[in-house]
Amino acid sequence: MRRMFFFMLAAFLLAVPGPAEGKMDLVTLPARDAVELTIYNSADLTLARDRRVLTMKKGLNQLQFSWANTLIDPTSLEMQPLAQGENIDLLDLVFPPRTSQLGLWRLQSGRSGRLPVEISYLTSGLSWRAFYLATLQGNETKMRLEGFVRVTNVSGEDYENAKVRLVVGQVHLLDRIADLARRVPPYGRPGPVPGVPRPEAADAGLRRERMVEAKAALSQMQALEARPKEIVKEGLSEYFLYTIEGTETISHGWSKRLPSFDSPQVPVVNLYKYEEEQYGPAVMRFLSFKNDQAHGLGQTPIPGGLLKVYRNLDSAGHLSFEGQSQFKYIPVGEKVELNLGPVEDVLVRAKPMNFRTDRYLFDAEGDISGWDEIREFEVEVKNTRGIPIQVEVRRHAPSAKWELTKKGAFGAYEQVDLNTVKFTLALKPGETQTFQYTLTTHHGRRAD
Amino acid sequence: MSRQSFFGVLCGLALLILLPSQAEARIKLAALPDRADTVIRLDHPAATLIEEERVLTLQKGLNHVDFSWKGVSIDADSIRLKVLTQTDKVALLSLSYPPEEASLVWEMHAKEAVEVAVRISYLLSNIDRLIAYRGVANLDETQLQLRSFLVLRNFSGEDFDQAIIFLSSSQSFPEQIQNEETKQILLFTKPAVPIRKVWTFDAGQLPWDPEKLESNVGIPVVYRLENVPKAGLGAFGLWKGKVRVFQEDGHQGTIFLGEDQTQMVPVGERMEIYIGDSRDLVVTQRKMREERVNVRRNKKGQIVLYDTDELIQARLENFKDRAARLTLIQHVLGEWNMEDCNLEYRRRDANTLEFEVDLAPHSHRELVMHYHRRNVR
Repeated sequence: MRRMFFFMLAAFLLAVPGPAEGKMDLVTLPARDAVELTIYNSADLTLARDRRVLTMKKGLNQLQFSWANTLIDPTSLEMQPLAQGENIDLLDLVFPPRTSQLGLWRLQSGRSGRLPVEISYLTSGLSWRAFYLATLQGNETKMRLEGFVRVTNVSGEDYENAKVRLVVGQVHLLDRIADLARRVPPYGRPGPVPGVPRPEAADAGLRRERMVEAKAALSQMQALEARPKEIVKEGLSEYFLYTIEGTETISHGWSKRLPSFDSPQVPVVNLYKYEEEQYGPAVMRFLSFKNDQAHGLGQTPIPGGLLKVYRNLDSAGHLSFEGQSQFKYIPVGEKVELNLGPVEDVLVRAKPMNFRTDRYLFDAEGDISGWDEIREFEVEVKNTRGIPIQVEVRRHAPSAKWELTKKGAFGAYEQVDLNTVKFTLALKPGETQTFQYTLTTHHGRRAD
Repeated sequence: MSRQSFFGVLCGLALLILLPSQAEARIKLAALPDRADTVIRLDHPAATLIEEERVLTLQKGLNHVDFSWKGVSIDADSIRLKVLTQTDKVALLSLSYPPEEASLVWEMHAKEAVEVAVRISYLLSNIDRLIAYRGVANLDETQLQLRSFLVLRNFSGEDFDQAIIFLSSSQSFPEQIQNEETKQILLFTKPAVPIRKVWTFDAGQLPWDPEKLESNVGIPVVYRLENVPKAGLGAFGLWKGKVRVFQEDGHQGTIFLGEDQTQMVPVGERMEIYIGDSRDLVVTQRKMREERVNVRRNKKGQIVLYDTDELIQARLENFKDRAARLTLIQHVLGEWNMEDCNLEYRRRDANTLEFEVDLAPHSHRELVMHYHRRNVR
């Protein structure tokens, strides 16, 4: 915590004996007793809560707080007494003239003595993200799913022995905290801004530290992987809160990787999709499962992140990389389909086999006023893999008014919306299935 | 305002005595009166009015009172002088602006040598106030501890050592603020303001089919509160300002929920604070039918009028551990009539339907809405 320690040494309690300004006693602000970081992943935002015990004098006390070279949003600064609330009157928070990154609280105390307080603020530069590793087993009907979080600190501040909480959720922000942290004066100024150069110290420091971040993070991650910690999970409002057991020291420029969960036997469906309008001519591979207890999950929502999928090749544990998917937040109970990209070992060929028109109508002038178009298609679905799979074929009608007849191995049929239908087929290893359908669309007065 | 600030910014309010014979301007500096009371009025969102009272010592006859400023931005046209005492003995004759100077000169006539109190008012730039709110919701999100802060920003070039700050005609307090100083002052604390949490899916604004999207569709969540006495509020309008909302976390701490900018909320009106988006309520809406019916054509066979037959289906899912009441907004344009709808709704206006749908934890409901749009041209 070298940075915070540095600037906290420069902080003083200025106690004034009476209501009038007069002789001031200087009291060094003590080191903090505890710090808690609540880090968000949807925005560059962390709520820091810092507890320490002040020594107050009866009368007016002034507490100076400075945050040079950090990314603290000064408009979020708040101090609250944790005891003796009836004896303490927090008068105001002043950002004095011609100072930068410095605030002054004025407190009126009814008595002398020790006062525990909590100082809280929002800061930028701390972040976390989730990522996942999946390992398909055997015939790919089950996978081991491991979740991790990676916490990174480029805030300009070292946080030592901090309680760390991670928040999953879409928080609404009006301003970027990093912008507020750099704004001088803290609330901006009315009227035109004079041409004063903006301090760049925090930026420059940040850039330097980012250059060494990757290297530092690697060694730190390696040290941590051997001792996983439990993560306690709970829901609050529209957010999910992950509280990491114990405390963590996250120095500026460093990252930490922590395991989030490990589900060894998650049943999955190997789902392949074919939809020309969405994916073009390729067949896309999906892994489908549900975030529920039946799938060894369902305790919490799963934060969005990148999933890398591997396949176990043999008993020796060799792996092959199958693909990766960036997926979105998965609420508890929701089904998820992870897109692993295009494949070439499952084939879908949808061919127009016939086209004709029929049932023409003519108006009084002898011009065509209505007709039908009849298209016949054949769809061949081929599984060249050695495992059973499920294939979903979606087809679109070029008109809002249509009818469809089908035959062959079309599997389960469903109308998805106004002009989309879905055929879902289950294929055994190496199996080919073929079905046909006839689509009649109505045009002109035939569509009335 | 002190002498120090007076010198610092306003260069001088100088009383000039004109020689009795002729109007030679600004001949003699007679007195430099201190300010008495200073009022800073911040009740207008775009302008700050300063009112300061001074005592002028006038000689019998014609007097010139010189008012000049430096290093501050005063709207010269806004400057006014009002005589408060001895009004029957003093007459304000004219006001003139000297060339290329930030100053003006009042011409006053006194029937006899007299001391008069005057109030000078003017619009001063680069001093204003912001309002900030901080709310802490309880664990079940039914109440909000609401605090309001006044943020005074003074970059006017002027120090105000003693001033009365007026936020409105009924809200005032003494304060001092130096030039280039920002000061945050607690205005009020309301410990338990009732709130209602509202989720709103507006089918005219949000995507219908989340399956087709790479990211989640967030359903906006707002806290709704009313500026009324039974909520512990209602004494005055709530100023426009930034609201930051936190929530108790059940472990003697809080988490940050989100922030919003609210507009002025007059007494009796409602404040809505948009805190974030829910991804645990999911709406999947699809149009299952849209056909032209009752088509009417002209003699050339061209369609001139028709109705539509439309069917909307929406699946409303709650993946949360708690019940939620979802406000679902649907839009049907033009002339229309509902053929069949399985959920109750109310008309917000001619083309907007509002459904209030209660969703139990981990449950879903379906909306099926069959309607005709009529006489589409």
